[in-house]
Amino acid sequence: MDEARRAKLAAWLPAGSEITAMSLMSGGAIQQNWLLDVLQDGVLHEWVLRTDSQATLTHSRPRAEEFALLTTAFAAGVTVPEPLMLCADALVIGAPFFIMRRVSGIAAAHRVVRSDTLGGGREALVRRLGQELAWVHSVRSDNAALAFLSPHPAVSPAQCFVDEMRGHLDAGRSPRPMLEWGLRYLERYAPPRGEIVLCHNDFRTGNLMVDDVGVTGVLDWEFAGWGDRHEDLGWFCAKCWRFGSAFEAGGIGTRAALYEAYEQASGVPVDDASVRFWEIAAHIRWAVIAVSQAERHISGTERSLELALTGHIVPDLECHIMQATL
Amino acid sequence: MSGLEQPGPADLLETARRLLLDEIASGLDGAARYKALMIANAMAIAARAAQAEPISELADAAKICADIRAGLHDDDALLGRRLLAYAEARRKISSKS
Repeated sequence: MDEARRAKLAAWLPAGSEITAMSLMSGGAIQQNWLLDVLQDGVLHEWVLRTDSQATLTHSRPRAEEFALLTTAFAAGVTVPEPLMLCADALVIGAPFFIMRRVSGIAAAHRVVRSDTLGGGREALVRRLGQELAWVHSVRSDNAALAFLSPHPAVSPAQCFVDEMRGHLDAGRSPRPMLEWGLRYLERYAPPRGEIVLCHNDFRTGNLMVDDVGVTGVLDWEFAGWGDRHEDLGWFCAKCWRFGSAFEAGGIGTRAALYEAYEQASGVPVDDASVRFWEIAAHIRWAVIAVSQAERHISGTERSLELALTGHIVPDLECHIMQATL
Repeated sequence: MSGLEQPGPADLLETARRLLLDEIASGLDGAARYKALMIANAMAIAARAAQAEPISELADAAKICADIRAGLHDDDALLGRRLLAYAEARRKISSKS
């Protein structure tokens, strides 16, 4: 960020604010995250400024919507970086941005699933995550701040999922019989439409920041939308997000602890069969995403070894899908 | 393969991968180490593919897909087992066992 933009940012901040440090965090091809230290009345605030990269090609949720999701989640008690200020005016730093309180901890999945002590220990951490999910799901579709989220169609979330995934398969370059097989299974055994709640839709180890004591931030709200609560529970428990760990709840702890804490915090019983249904769906969804990521490499849209290797996750996912449905 | 000087592609890839892992990646950290491990992973997949038996493709996969979607293979355990075997054969190459 050049001096002119930094000066405009300083002028936009509340009176008496002085920017003492500002640096771009690594990663984030689509969004930029800036570490921002601000002195206000002698008190140092450690914040993160989140904005769009200059050359954004990929469709991404607008910053104002992400800010509204974070604000709603924070008010519902979910542990998220506290959202502080939103600037929808692109003229200040060149793109809309928001500022949130900085949180610290570790999100790296392989480190989290290997640790017996992070987050206060496996059972304490997984119980806390069950509570966090319950708080996410306490948000209902009449919430005016989230009116920008597409209303959920009248069909069941399961059938909606099947229809959406079939659309992606139809647009792909190769037939995918194992994924079709899995989708047909889901269609045949789809749970009925239940209560529609706010779903995070990417609540998994790797997107959950923890420290030695507990959860410090539920991150990455890009895919949030209305759906079935079991969809988030299934995504979290799916084998593909256990990172080689034997613990069924996110590779972190036991399924029983997750369910029990979720039920206590939400007052809603967990339907184990529905969670397992959505675990099959999770493998299909991840496979469809992996296929499309590899396609970006193969087509030349974005040549990348990481994208190329993601395509090679698909056969393993297909094996899980077939084993779970035969 | 006949006519090619030896060692062949699988041997070359595996030998190069060991060198990368043992003498280069071990001295790296952070993003550079992550990239080196990705390269090693890609070489391992290519090496396994170079020495694998050919995988017999599913005949008319597009029709199988359409028929599955139309419900014509509901409870068709024979097809299910064929699909699982096909996925397992591809997994042997794409993922380390």
